[in-house]
Amino acid sequence: MNNKINKTISWSEVLRKYGTVIGTIIMFIIFSLVVDRFFTFRNLFMLLRQMSMLTIIACGFTFVMAAGGFDMSIGSVTGLVSMIFTIVLVSTSNFLLSFLIAIIVGLSVGLINAMLVAYINLPDFIGTFAVGSVAYGIKMLLTKGNPIFIKNPPEIFTFIGQGYVGAVPFPVILMLAFLVISIFILHKTKLGRRIYAIGGNTVASVYAGINVKWYRMITFLISGLSVSIAAIIMTSRLNSGQPLAGENFLLDVIAAVFLSTTMFGEGEPNAMGSFVGSLIISMLNNGLTMLSVPYYFQYITKGMVVIAAVMLAVVMGQKLRVKF
Amino acid sequence: MSFIDVKEEILSTRNLGKEFNDVWVLNDININLKKGEIHSIVGENGAGKSTFIKILSGVYAPSKGEIIINSQKVKFNNVKESEQLGIRTVHQEINLIPFFNVMENIFVGAELEKKVMVINILDKKKSAEKAKEALDTLGVELDLNKYVHKIDASMRRIVQICKVLVGKYEVIIFDEPTTTLGSSERRRLLEVIRNLKKQDAGIIFISHNIDEVLEISDRITVFRDGENMGTMLKKESTVNKIVSKMIGHKSYSDFKRKSVTDKDKVIFEAKDLNTERLKNINFKVYKGEVVGIAGIVGAGKTEIARAIFGIDAVESGEFYINGDRYKPKPGTSVKKGIALVPEERQEQGLVLNMDVKKNISLAYLDQLGKSSVIDFETEKNTAEKLIEYLKIKTTGPFQIVKYLSGGNQQKVVIGRWLSGDFSLGIFDEPTKGIDIKAKEDIYHQIDMLAHKGKGIIFISSFLPELINVTDRIIVMKDGKIVDEFDPKQNTETEIMIAMLGGNN
Repeated sequence: MNNKINKTISWSEVLRKYGTVIGTIIMFIIFSLVVDRFFTFRNLFMLLRQMSMLTIIACGFTFVMAAGGFDMSIGSVTGLVSMIFTIVLVSTSNFLLSFLIAIIVGLSVGLINAMLVAYINLPDFIGTFAVGSVAYGIKMLLTKGNPIFIKNPPEIFTFIGQGYVGAVPFPVILMLAFLVISIFILHKTKLGRRIYAIGGNTVASVYAGINVKWYRMITFLISGLSVSIAAIIMTSRLNSGQPLAGENFLLDVIAAVFLSTTMFGEGEPNAMGSFVGSLIISMLNNGLTMLSVPYYFQYITKGMVVIAAVMLAVVMGQKLRVKF
Repeated sequence: MSFIDVKEEILSTRNLGKEFNDVWVLNDININLKKGEIHSIVGENGAGKSTFIKILSGVYAPSKGEIIINSQKVKFNNVKESEQLGIRTVHQEINLIPFFNVMENIFVGAELEKKVMVINILDKKKSAEKAKEALDTLGVELDLNKYVHKIDASMRRIVQICKVLVGKYEVIIFDEPTTTLGSSERRRLLEVIRNLKKQDAGIIFISHNIDEVLEISDRITVFRDGENMGTMLKKESTVNKIVSKMIGHKSYSDFKRKSVTDKDKVIFEAKDLNTERLKNINFKVYKGEVVGIAGIVGAGKTEIARAIFGIDAVESGEFYINGDRYKPKPGTSVKKGIALVPEERQEQGLVLNMDVKKNISLAYLDQLGKSSVIDFETEKNTAEKLIEYLKIKTTGPFQIVKYLSGGNQQKVVIGRWLSGDFSLGIFDEPTKGIDIKAKEDIYHQIDMLAHKGKGIIFISSFLPELINVTDRIIVMKDGKIVDEFDPKQNTETEIMIAMLGGNN
């Protein structure tokens, strides 16, 4: 009798923690069976390479959301960083300089977000959404909406998005590095602990002596950094600055990070979960494209996935801590 | 019926009682109210005043007993039904809409309409007439077009009263109407309430301020531990008589401690502290001393804790800990050796979704290893030790704190500070809502800390525990320190009079 109860409890526990992961595996199997050439070495590596940018931004976003915040600027800022990176690279041919400037642009946007949201107390949604709109405007102003192609790109630039280490694409290595570092910071360090405490109960964190504004700022800086890195990879992959590339990241990242709250634990956003979430989204993008499903149907699917993820999070009794 | 008692009875209760989880928080209340009478109800926190009001206003259904209005037995299932019978409440919280004007606020939810063609539109003319009428009844001049955020606190109360007057009313309940008011505003409001008597309304007046109760009431009823301790006519009442009926507690701990105060060493000092709510606060805490802070709701007890720790903005003042001057900010305060067990343990004390060990380590995380990586081994061991030491009932360091009982949650918050080394411990209502066993554990803990040479500030609205646990009691009123007592030499009555007494 006792045993039986224990067993049911542990099963529901397993489902609660790993249900989404199991779902991902099932989805993977279905795609492998249904889609021709899905389960090939080449396509799987392509899938990983495609999802590298999404995962990196989702990891950064995980920090923001773990601290109870939200960052609506990521999509437009990816394009902005990409354009500024391209312009500097094309006009100076100095990779290092353009790289540094790209990182600085991402961090600066993170800093502006943090000032508005953490220090001036604008609601996260409004503050970061407006910053995203400004970023969108600036990149259009800089380029008049036209892409900039990079002729004679430096080797190291091409390597970032297109290179391989052995058989593994370099962006995949960057993604894994970013993922591992994110997991480490969030779960092993004092910084990560404080971030989760703030997300769990901001007021109690203040009463425990934690400088909430400071740590929320750090999360926005990490998000900005992740956007910069993803933008550099994207620019290299496309061998050009595309002003509108990256706009789609916003919904994909939100979906991935909300999915992460349904995995591995007590309903907190977590980096490993964001990786699996990114995999789900990328698999949908990849698989549905290979099935020649029209792009508008992919939007519908993704929207449904976001709704499903958020519903799952709510049903599983996790309050959504996003502040409107 | 004699000729003196001509006034009609408008409301009475018969054996009214309310039970929550087998505890009778209100029992056998018999009370009556006459037309044109102001009948005050006084009592300590938890005496049952607010439960009584909530039953009358239809928020709670009584567990037993009857309510009689105009000789008719009545029952209501919700606030609306109670209001329809003419029982109206002027709530303590001012629930007006700041960017609506006075007239619009008066008619929120009860808008007057007129028909133009086929649609109903607001009838501004009629609204203005009725609002003006209500203001005249109260003897108040007020511009109906003024926005509510531009009028002072007593006028906002008056707008609340007007909301009652434009509808049906037989009984008006005032719940602590003067708490946030200054003395001249207070005077004006009492005058307005007196004017209401002429409308033949029965008025139930709840206040912590005994002076004001004595000034305005026709009769005064004292509640204690959910029971009616007796009703007095105003002319037979004195402050002493009322207070002696209010105090006296059943089933209370007999914890006693010895003073270990070392008057040679000052642990903490606040000089000329002023905030929005606090005025000229000066006090010291000595080594090994437990200082109690007493005062009624809204006196500024919690605000002192918040100012010292750095949660609220300080307008002026100097703070010293172990002789060092510091600027209150939560992070700085913790580093300088101040620990705060906040009043609301769930909202302010704990991250409910985190486990016991993470909640314990939260304030002194920097002690867990020199690098930025957490030393998980030490974290777990510390938590285990504290669980044992504080007798926290839990399955272990990995249990999520939201599943613990109130007393054990409070111990986790205390454990957090015990895991580090502080000089000044501030306990804000640490025993609120926890069982007697856990209470005594916390008293022992405070005693132990005093023995270890820490300075303790113990804030409580429960006087008996302050008398038992502290070495000195500071009494606050309206954001000021008004008196100081030695709990060994002064009685509960004396301290209570200082807490409640008016301006004398």
